Amino acid sequence: MGTSTALRDLQRDLENKANDLSKLQKDIAKNHQVRKKYTIQLGENELVLKELDLLSEDANVYKMIGPVLVKQDLAEANANVRKRIDYISAELKRLDATLQDLEEKQNSKRDMILKLQQRIQSLQAGKAKA
Amino acid sequence: MEEGAKGTVTSLASMFPADEAQKAAKRVQDTIAEKHQELDRVKGFIADNASLVNLVQKLPEELHHDIMVPFGKVAFFPGRLVHTNEFMVLLGEGYYAERTSKQTVEILRRRGKALETHVDSLKSMIEDLETEALFFDRTASDAAEGLVEIREELSGEESDEGASESGRKEDAHSVSVKDKGKVLNEDEEYARLMSKLEELEKEELAAEAADNIEEETNEVDPDVVSEQSSFNQNLKDWEGSHSCKPPSHSEEGQASDEEFLSRKRQQPALLEKSNPNDPTITSSHKDKTSHGKEPSKNLRDPNVADKSLKLPALEGNDHAGSSNNEVSIQPSKPKFDSLRAFTGSIIERSPNLPINPGETSSTSSQVPSSQSSKPQSRFRMQRR
Repeated sequence: MGTSTALRDLQRDLENKANDLSKLQKDIAKNHQVRKKYTIQLGENELVLKELDLLSEDANVYKMIGPVLVKQDLAEANANVRKRIDYISAELKRLDATLQDLEEKQNSKRDMILKLQQRIQSLQAGKAKA
Repeated sequence: MEEGAKGTVTSLASMFPADEAQKAAKRVQDTIAEKHQELDRVKGFIADNASLVNLVQKLPEELHHDIMVPFGKVAFFPGRLVHTNEFMVLLGEGYYAERTSKQTVEILRRRGKALETHVDSLKSMIEDLETEALFFDRTASDAAEGLVEIREELSGEESDEGASESGRKEDAHSVSVKDKGKVLNEDEEYARLMSKLEELEKEELAAEAADNIEEETNEVDPDVVSEQSSFNQNLKDWEGSHSCKPPSHSEEGQASDEEFLSRKRQQPALLEKSNPNDPTITSSHKDKTSHGKEPSKNLRDPNVADKSLKLPALEGNDHAGSSNNEVSIQPSKPKFDSLRAFTGSIIERSPNLPINPGETSSTSSQVPSSQSSKPQSRFRMQRR
């Protein structure tokens, strides 16, 4: 009966690991989505910056804040956009790092699960023989 | 599936099951469909942009326009559009700028350009994906037809490349890896080809040199040839360096060169000795050559002659050579070298194959199999 309890333990272990893995995979998918959003924003901000650079000094620039348009200084708007681009770039870098971390974790988890499956299989084979 | 140690036959289906390949193909097709949708969307944007440009250009033509102003989602009321040359352009991220019609059109044109580059990149992506899908489809159909991959080990150093060429190496999941491997193989094959070419060139040079010497030493008795020196000469031909020839053997070397050539070309003077189709004659020829040792070695001559005579007709050339090595006074070459020299001589004669095909084949078949695998394979490689 020792083998059957060990087998059950292993199977429970495997289940836990599989859950962890699926959680990790969900995290990774989420990370991908956030990344996509940020890259789109980055592109948009760069476009804005380009257009702002092309504007002449005396052009009127407004920023939509909620339901109202607030008049803004061109230099201020320019600085704001630049800051935003910096922020988004930093965020993207951070996301990259976490993504790599998550993927490493996922791979190790996958290996562990594979090993567990092999052990369970060998145990089952031994039981079938006995 | 195993064919001894020579090669393996693996059905493609066992490596890449047909349904797996089809699944992969389907996934790629799905991505292609996705990309097509995106492409359509972006094309819609471009069309919108173009019509907007038209509108913005047309608006300032009039001082005011009578329009229906939308009120909420359902109602319109009549109104009038004034200030037709003032636009509030959304730059993105909530930023708006006051622009004239002309400036607005410029902004819109720039956006259109960005969209077009996006379309281009999408199109190239779709192209890549389509080739990938084609590849998967082909793999699937091949696997379904029961195509097999045959890998044959070539003896010697070129086993790996040959094997990878003969089989279709297909990696179902990473095309790029496969491509890389293919390129590597091609490189290796190129290097191999070049080395082969070099070998052939060396032979040619050696043959030319032998040609020249032959004319000078046509009168030399072909009997004055020592087996040892012929091997030396072979070795040198193989290495393409006549300069390191020991001076005391120059005569013999030339003679042996002549011998080679005459064997090759079936010169009338030596015809009776070099009958290509009879292996025994080859050995008797050796006997002759060992007879023609230098006077200093004449004491042992009978011995040598006996030995080479005793050698069975099927005994290999290099065996004879090694037996001669034992009795020769010269610093005997390592056996491996004589083997190599032998290899060289085979290769040297191979261009004349059509003229006397019997000789080379007979000599090569005489070679003891245990030592012959390398030279033979080289020889065959050349014939290919």
